[in-house]
Amino acid sequence: MQNKNDVSRFERLFLPHLDAAYNLARWLTRNHNAAQDVVQESSLRAFNSLHRFAEGNARAWLLAIVRNQSYTWLKESSGRRFVDIEDEEALSERDKAQLGHPDTPEAWAVRMQEKQALQLALESLPEAFREVIVLKELEEMSYKEIAAVTDVPIGTVMSRLARGRDMLKIKLRAYHE
Amino acid sequence: MNEMTCTECTGWLHAYLDNELDTTVSAGVRAHLDRCADCKASYVEMATLRQGLRTALPYYEAPEGLQQIILSRLPKQSPAAFTPRISRAWRRWRIPAFSTAALAAAVLIYIFAPTQEDRVDDEVVSSHVRSLMAEHLMDVVSSDQHTVKPWFAGKLDFSPPVYDFTPQGYPLLGGRLDYVGHQTVAALSYRRAKHIINVFVMPTPKSDSGPKRLSIRGYNLIVWRQNHLAFEAVSDLNAEELQVLAVLIINQPH
Repeated sequence: MQNKNDVSRFERLFLPHLDAAYNLARWLTRNHNAAQDVVQESSLRAFNSLHRFAEGNARAWLLAIVRNQSYTWLKESSGRRFVDIEDEEALSERDKAQLGHPDTPEAWAVRMQEKQALQLALESLPEAFREVIVLKELEEMSYKEIAAVTDVPIGTVMSRLARGRDMLKIKLRAYHE
Repeated sequence: MNEMTCTECTGWLHAYLDNELDTTVSAGVRAHLDRCADCKASYVEMATLRQGLRTALPYYEAPEGLQQIILSRLPKQSPAAFTPRISRAWRRWRIPAFSTAALAAAVLIYIFAPTQEDRVDDEVVSSHVRSLMAEHLMDVVSSDQHTVKPWFAGKLDFSPPVYDFTPQGYPLLGGRLDYVGHQTVAALSYRRAKHIINVFVMPTPKSDSGPKRLSIRGYNLIVWRQNHLAFEAVSDLNAEELQVLAVLIINQPH
């Protein structure tokens, strides 16, 4: 039978990080349905290897699994990617909050364009750079945590962040010209 | 500490921005930025970019219902006892759960669920109807209990009792896997005259209970629990004749 302790440990450790898991999967796969699949599979894997997780950074541990699963999906789906229609309409909670922001329509339009430019720029970066930026800017993780998730030395995290930001800067500059 | 050069400063700039430097190096970078307009400009540019990223990038939150689905899909056995055998059965049921429709259904079931049991009863009826409509009555077609029972082994983490009641007028048609109450269950199909009966069998932590009659959306149900298995027999057959099958199953040695 299902072990109640395992389930409650799973709920306590990993459920608080479901948004983080989905966010990373969504940025890496760039696909709403794939991200859900990845998070489901990752959760199952996390649950099954629960006994191997000593107390520590549950978020980093879960995100490392999510990252691996995302790469697996990317590898398996390469060559048969498709555009997710739902994503076109999906607004994040933050977008919704900003829709209520007192802005002139013009300023709002400009800001939405800027947002879209940033989003597209990040989406077009190679995964190795995209993931460190997501983990740094959206998860606000330390270099050490990012190193744990991405399985590279801290120095590599630092250089990828620097490189990734430079690439974004160049892309945005091109957009503004 | 010696004064930092532009090259050194550029090397540390991102770590400085991310507050990852120790106080000595950090002070060195700050001192250099105060003196060097070029490095200061790069720093401001990066800080602006970072601010932009933090405020403008969407943080994709997990869709509603995902947590529920994840919890419902955790293996029924503790991880230590988890075997590849069961893992295959799970994978088989993963695919339909990914569809948006299934997600929506799971959310609706969750919201409107009056009780766990009502929900299972209702799902059983839906599953019965679906099995007739889709002509997906059986995955293993056999009236031989010795064919059907081993078929389930390796697909379920419990062993449903399988009996043929042809002599009593309830021939076994076959079995299939179904998904009810957030778990993979066995569905056995019997025939009584022109009526199809589906008997759903699933593990339950609850104690045994005698057969109980229900009627949902015009279908008759007999539900009971025996040896930590919950049985739900559903059909458009009249309740009396349905109960006969229930009693036949109950009286078999389990």
